[in-house]
Amino acid sequence: MPGLVEYLIWSLCTLLEAAVVVCAIKRGAFRKYVFLNVYMATSVLVSLVRFDILQHYGLRSSQYIYFYYYTDALLTIFLYFALASLFSSVFSEMQAEQYVKLGAVLLLGGTALFSYAVVYQSQAKLVTHFVVELSQNLYFVGLVLTYVLWGAVLKLRETRTRLIQMVLSLGVYFSLFAANYALRNLYPSMNSVLQYLPPLFGCFLPAAWAYAFLRIPEDARLAPARLAVIR
Amino acid sequence: MSRKLTVVLLAMLILVGAMSLKTVVTAHDNGAVIMANGGAPVPPTPWKNGGAPVPPTPWKNGGAPVPPTPWK
Repeated sequence: MPGLVEYLIWSLCTLLEAAVVVCAIKRGAFRKYVFLNVYMATSVLVSLVRFDILQHYGLRSSQYIYFYYYTDALLTIFLYFALASLFSSVFSEMQAEQYVKLGAVLLLGGTALFSYAVVYQSQAKLVTHFVVELSQNLYFVGLVLTYVLWGAVLKLRETRTRLIQMVLSLGVYFSLFAANYALRNLYPSMNSVLQYLPPLFGCFLPAAWAYAFLRIPEDARLAPARLAVIR
Repeated sequence: MSRKLTVVLLAMLILVGAMSLKTVVTAHDNGAVIMANGGAPVPPTPWKNGGAPVPPTPWKNGGAPVPPTPWK
């Protein structure tokens, strides 16, 4: 069973996720960033049910294991759509929403096909293998998409501060997990230390988004020159 | 039409890029999975039954140090 520190980090993370939705509603930005908020609200709900299952059945129970991995895939798909909605926002002035939607659906379908191709030889637990593989692959697609989006933000001289904050925080969030994952694979001996970092990283995205909703007004703009300096 | 084809091409390029990145990152795969949603404790993967230590691969006989490959 997890220790007190892990429970505290998990609680903090869940509170921050709820804070994102509350701040968005308070600032009247819930509908504008509906996919981001749906992702955060679902994450809160999933955390509550996970906690309940964990208390009743334990960490190594099949109930918790299956619920954890299946809901993680669901959350990753929601995060993917949240990222696609940020693409739509960045490309809104170019009237390119339909192309963004087409690209998002194609990419999701391609990732699902690729994941199936990887796991189809698994005779046992094929669906579970597929769900975990899809979640992993979609995560890496999200990582690459975030950097593509950041490139588009720079190229199009996007100036909306809140949007830039959200894209940047998403990039940092994905990068932290990828770096941790790579280190865990490269140095298995450090696994005992590195395995405690992902829950902490999990708090970063809701904290950054809650800050963006709370402190950065929708009409705040960055000077394009400042973005160019970052580049 | 050309715009749609460009979108298809970009989607495929991103998919190839992402899967290549995953291959690089998991080059030394030790079976860990990447979990990036929320702070819930990560359970063992569903296809790892029990918490028993993973035995050495069947083609490594004994605990002797592995010599360099013969063609070096």
